[in-house]
Amino acid sequence: MKVRSGLPGIRKALYYVMALMLIIWLTLIANVILFVVIAIRYHQETPEYVLGGEVMEALTLTENGYELSVPMQTTLTQMRQWAMLLNEDGEVIWSYRKPVEVKESYTRSEIARMSKWYLEDYPVYLRVWDDQIMVVGIPKHSMWKYNVQCPTPWIDYIKNIWIWIVLFDFSLVLISAFFFTRKWSKNREQVRIEWISGISHDIRTPLSMVMGYSDALQNSENLSVEEKRQMEVIRHQSIVMKELVEDLNLTSRLEYSMQALRVEKLRPAAVLREVAAAFLSDVSEKEADIDMVVSGQAEEIWTEADRQLLIRAFRNLLNNSMQHGEQQETTVIALRMWKERRWCCISFADNGVGYSQELLNQLHSRKKKKIVQNIGGLNIVQKIVLAHGGKIRFENNKHGGSFCEIRLRAYSMKSK
Amino acid sequence: MELYDYKIMLVDDEPELRRMVKDFLVKEGFRYVVSAGSCREARAVYQREQPRLILLDVMLPDGDGFGLLQEMHKESEVPVIFLSAKDEDEDRLHGLGLGADDYITKPFLPKELILRVKAVLKRVYRVKEEDKESELIRLGVCSVDLGSGLVRWNSARENVSESSKTKAQELTLTAKEYAIIEKLAANRGRIVTIDALCEAVWQEGNYGYENTLIVHIRRLREKIEEDPSHPKYLLTVRGLGYKLI
Repeated sequence: MKVRSGLPGIRKALYYVMALMLIIWLTLIANVILFVVIAIRYHQETPEYVLGGEVMEALTLTENGYELSVPMQTTLTQMRQWAMLLNEDGEVIWSYRKPVEVKESYTRSEIARMSKWYLEDYPVYLRVWDDQIMVVGIPKHSMWKYNVQCPTPWIDYIKNIWIWIVLFDFSLVLISAFFFTRKWSKNREQVRIEWISGISHDIRTPLSMVMGYSDALQNSENLSVEEKRQMEVIRHQSIVMKELVEDLNLTSRLEYSMQALRVEKLRPAAVLREVAAAFLSDVSEKEADIDMVVSGQAEEIWTEADRQLLIRAFRNLLNNSMQHGEQQETTVIALRMWKERRWCCISFADNGVGYSQELLNQLHSRKKKKIVQNIGGLNIVQKIVLAHGGKIRFENNKHGGSFCEIRLRAYSMKSK
Repeated sequence: MELYDYKIMLVDDEPELRRMVKDFLVKEGFRYVVSAGSCREARAVYQREQPRLILLDVMLPDGDGFGLLQEMHKESEVPVIFLSAKDEDEDRLHGLGLGADDYITKPFLPKELILRVKAVLKRVYRVKEEDKESELIRLGVCSVDLGSGLVRWNSARENVSESSKTKAQELTLTAKEYAIIEKLAANRGRIVTIDALCEAVWQEGNYGYENTLIVHIRRLREKIEEDPSHPKYLLTVRGLGYKLI
């Protein structure tokens, strides 16, 4: 016996995943926009520091030594910057607003270091002019200055694989979102199933007593004919309620794919006969009759199905015919079974009033709408057949009466 | 020991249900029926009364029936039938997997409960119903004795020829005919499908014997029906199976 779980839940989870993906993308885009806005805004606010080149140009060599132009002096003062000029030996030969902690001479290694990082915590910029070096400093903590480097093969490699990295990220988000939402929706479904299961559980015990006592009283000798008839109605209706309670629980479990199919190999012809025989045994001859014809080939068909569910589906169809039969008339149900290529086809037809148009619309609509009418039993039939990968069709006969055709996947086996 | 002498213990937390089931069992003829409303009470009653069959609810106020079953099975192999308001397959399979002999889902019809109780008692203790009547199937003027596998005719058959009249008082059933009539009698009044009959006769590989079954049915009718061509007791239900009325 194999256990197979249904698929429809995945589709629902997929919707959640898509919604979540959309949210993630929107957040990402919003972040980028925010970043751009902040960058623009702070760019406007950030002071434009003077770096090496301009200072060099503003510096002229006179008889009294180096002289900085007045506008540049004003600018550097306003920006709280400083500048110094080193000769080829690393000695300061000129400076402007140089902080005291900054030394007067530098070794080559010190120059190399400051060119990359900081000088006494001042971010500095170097500009080489002939054999002299212009060093321009800006206020402490005003600039984040680091060297970024990367081996060329890395860059080449990343250029080649970046699309895969994006795809990988994408699928990672997809998968994690999928599992997350699936679990989330499962939990919600679980709550609903348990709620329905609880209701059906609570109804069962009281119903046991209604069924038990009405059954016992029906055979009581102290009751009048009329009272016995009434008792029979109570008994019959309590059995109807029992079926409804079972259907309710099963519907919710099938709806959320919580009902695992316990598939086994079986002969649909035998199962159908079993259901029909039990059905006929329970009703009086006047109430109903079954005309069952199984074509020779169909007799040999085997299929894989959940026996209990299949029985339930067949029984619900027979019960439905019984309920929709004309009053005062024997309900005749024609059962046909035949083989069509790889399908085992079973049809149920009766001489009753047929399905209402509303009910047919509801059964055939793909969307899950509110149940506008009690279609209870048939809804389950449909779910069971679909859960088995079968097909089902409801319609009305030309001569009136309902007609339902079920197709189940078949394979022939000569022996056992 | 007769079937009805076996002591039955009923464990359910709903007093009205206990009373109802007890009434049914007593009415059916069971002489000793005891009941308990909780796990604790059930343990005490079990120790005191030593029942031979337990009807056990799964949900009890101070524990669950599954646990109680395991507890009791440590001491003895007393047969247990679950009487549960849970109809999910998992519960049913869990219960049966623990070693319960049957699992009845509420709501149930009294007849169904009685039949299952009897079936378990018969199977576990290999008792035959003390009632010999049940082994004797009365079909108008003839009767089939399942104990000996004989068909007895009370009066001479009208349709048989003069010569065979005298020797036809007692007829022997073949093994296959016996299996068929036994199956039909067990479900008297109900339709038994061709498939179920084939399974009863040939056990496995029950497919493909339909035509042979027809032959056996015809021979059986020749033994039990006054007019085999117009049967009154062993009826054919076209397309479905047979019925013994």
